[in-house]
Amino acid sequence: MMKRRLRSSISTTWQTAVIVVAALLLGALFIAFAGESPLECYGVMLEGALGSMSRISEIMIKMVPLMIMALGVSIAFRAKLWNIGAEGQMIVGAITSAVVGLYIPLLPWLHMIIAPIFGMIGGALWAMIAGWLRVRFNANEVITTMMLNYVALYLLAYMVYGPMQEPGGYNYPQSSSMAESIQLTPLGAGLRVNTSVFVAIGVLILIILFWRSRFGFTVDLLGHGTKITNYAGLNANRTIIWTMMLSGALSGLVGWIEVYGVHFRLLEGIGAGFGDLAVVITLLGKMSPIGILFASFFISALLVGGATMQRMTAIPYSIVDIIQGLVIVLLITQPMIQQKLQARKARGIYVE
Amino acid sequence: MWNEIFSLTFLTSLLTATIRLATPILYAALGQIFTQKAGILNLGVEGTMIVSAMAAFTVSYFSGSLWLGFISAIVVGVLWSSIMAWLSNTMNAVQVIAGIGLNILGAGVASYVYRIIFGVRTLPPQIDPFPVVELPLLSKIPVIGPVLFCNNVPTYIAFLLIPVSWFLMERTTFGLRVKMVGEHPRASDAKGIHVTLIRNIAVLIGGACAGAAGAYMSTAYMNLFTDNLVQGQGFMAVAVVIFSKFRPGWALVGSLVFGFSNALQMRLQAIGAGIPNQLLLMLPYIVTIFALISTSRKAEMPSAYTKPYVRMER
Repeated sequence: MMKRRLRSSISTTWQTAVIVVAALLLGALFIAFAGESPLECYGVMLEGALGSMSRISEIMIKMVPLMIMALGVSIAFRAKLWNIGAEGQMIVGAITSAVVGLYIPLLPWLHMIIAPIFGMIGGALWAMIAGWLRVRFNANEVITTMMLNYVALYLLAYMVYGPMQEPGGYNYPQSSSMAESIQLTPLGAGLRVNTSVFVAIGVLILIILFWRSRFGFTVDLLGHGTKITNYAGLNANRTIIWTMMLSGALSGLVGWIEVYGVHFRLLEGIGAGFGDLAVVITLLGKMSPIGILFASFFISALLVGGATMQRMTAIPYSIVDIIQGLVIVLLITQPMIQQKLQARKARGIYVE
Repeated sequence: MWNEIFSLTFLTSLLTATIRLATPILYAALGQIFTQKAGILNLGVEGTMIVSAMAAFTVSYFSGSLWLGFISAIVVGVLWSSIMAWLSNTMNAVQVIAGIGLNILGAGVASYVYRIIFGVRTLPPQIDPFPVVELPLLSKIPVIGPVLFCNNVPTYIAFLLIPVSWFLMERTTFGLRVKMVGEHPRASDAKGIHVTLIRNIAVLIGGACAGAAGAYMSTAYMNLFTDNLVQGQGFMAVAVVIFSKFRPGWALVGSLVFGFSNALQMRLQAIGAGIPNQLLLMLPYIVTIFALISTSRKAEMPSAYTKPYVRMER
C-alpha cells in the first residue's frame, strides 16, 4: 500500500516535471523568436530568482500568500467546486482584517490573533455566498465566484476612496498605515520576508492533516458527485457550503498577510492577479499540499526571475505569463494524452 | 455639479460613451451565446480579445487598412478559440481551467509579440481609428441622432448582428442543433448530429465575434494597443450572456447596462463629481448573479453546460 502510493507520487512528480520542462522549452521558442539566446535568458532568470538572500526573500514574499491561497483553492477544486473567486475572497479578507487594525483598539498581541481571524471570516463569508447560491438555486459557482470577484474589487475601491481612505492622505486610494506594533515583523535586517512564513508552514501542516481527517475525506468524496456523497449518508449540500467557506477562509487569511506584512495598509490593487496564479499553482501541484508547496516555489521564482530578466535582457516580462499559460494548457491535455498512449500500448499487445 | 449632470450635453456624451463601451461587449456576447448554448463555457474570451486586438492594431499599422486589420483579428480570434475548441471538445478538459489558461497565455502572447514588434517606446505607436459615419437625416434627430446614428461602421455591424444571430439561433437547423447539443448531446448523437463538430463550430463563432470585439477595442474605441486594453470586457460578455438568458436582443440590453455603468463612472470622474461610483459599477455584476439564479431555477441553462461529451461513456 505504502509502496504503491510512493510509486504513484513519484510518477506524478515525474510527469509534472516533464510538463514544466516542456513549457520552458516552448517558452524558449518565444525567446528565440525575439532573437535572443534562450539559455542566456533563462540563466539571467535563475540568477535573478536565486542569486542572493534578498532575492530569495522576494520569492518567499510571493510564495507565502500564493501557497496559502492555492491550498484554499485546492480544497474547493478537489470537491469539483470550481471556485475561481479566490481573489475576491482575499480582498474581502483584507478589508475585514484591516478594519480591526484601523478602528478597534486592542492590545498588540490580541490584534495579532483577532485580525487574521477577521480576515478568515471575511473570506469565508464571501465564498459562502457562492456556496449557498449553488445549494439553494443550483447557480453555477464559476459564474457567481467570478461576479463576486468584481463586486469585491469595487467594494475595495469604494472603501479606499471613501470611508476607509487615509485622512489627509493626498487622496490616494489607500487607508492609513497600520501601527508598527501590529505589523508582521521581518525575519532579518533589510529583508522583506516576515513571520508570515511560519503561518504558511502552519497552514501547510494543517491542510496535510485535513486531508486525512473525516471532513477531508468527505470533501474528496464530494468530488465524485453529490449523489455519491448523499448515498454515503453525508449531507452534500452542507459539505458544499463548508468546503467553499474553508476555501475562502484561507484566501481571507492571505488578505491579512498582504495588509499586515507586505503593504502595511489597505490599498487599491492589493493582490491583483493572485487569483489566477493560485489556480495555476493548484493545478501544477496536482491539488496535493506538498505538490502545491513546490509549485508555489516554482511560480514565485518564475515571477521574481522574470522581473530581473525584463531589466537585464530584451525579453519582456510577459514571457512569465506565456510559460504559465503553457503549463496550464499542457497540464489539462495530459490525462487524455496518457489515456491515448495507454490505449495504443494495449492495442499493441493485442496485435502481438 | 448637479446642473452640469442634468444638462443635455452631459446626457448626449454619456449615451455616446455608453454605445462605444457597449459595442465590444455586444460583439463578444453575441458569439458567446452560441458557444454557451452548445454547452461550452468559454472563460477565455478575454484572452481571445486581447490577442485579436493586438493583431488588428499591428495589421492596420503596417498595411494602412483598418478593414484588413479587422478581418485579420477575426481570423486570429477563430484560430485562438480553436485551441479552446480542441481543449474542451477533443481533450475533454475542464472548460473553466482551459479558459483561465488561455486567458493567461493570451495576455502573455499579445503583450510579448507587441513588444517584440514595436519595442519599448515613450509614445505608443498610433493609427487613425475607424471614422464616424453620420447616417443622413437620422443623425439630425436631437439626442437620439448623435447617439445612435453617428457611429463608426463596426458599431453599425454589431447592431446588425443582433437580428442575424437571432435568426441563426431561432430559425435555422443549425441553431436548433446548437441548442440540442447543449441540452442533450447523447440524444443529438443518436439523431445523427455530429456533436463535436457542432460544438467546435459554436466555439469558433464565439472566437470570431471575440476577434471582432478585440479589433473594435484597438482600432475603433482606441487607436493604439496597450497590455490592459481589454480590462474585463471578455468577462463582462460572459456575464451578459447569462444576464440575457441567451437571447440576442437581451444581450443588447445587457451590454448597454454594463456600458452605461462604465460610461457614467467615466463621465462623473471627468467632471470631478464626488459620487461613489464604485457601488454603481458593482450593480451589473449583482444583477447578473440574480439573472443566473432565475435561469438556473427555471432550468433555462443548457443541461449539458460545461459537461464534455464522451461517446463511449454511459
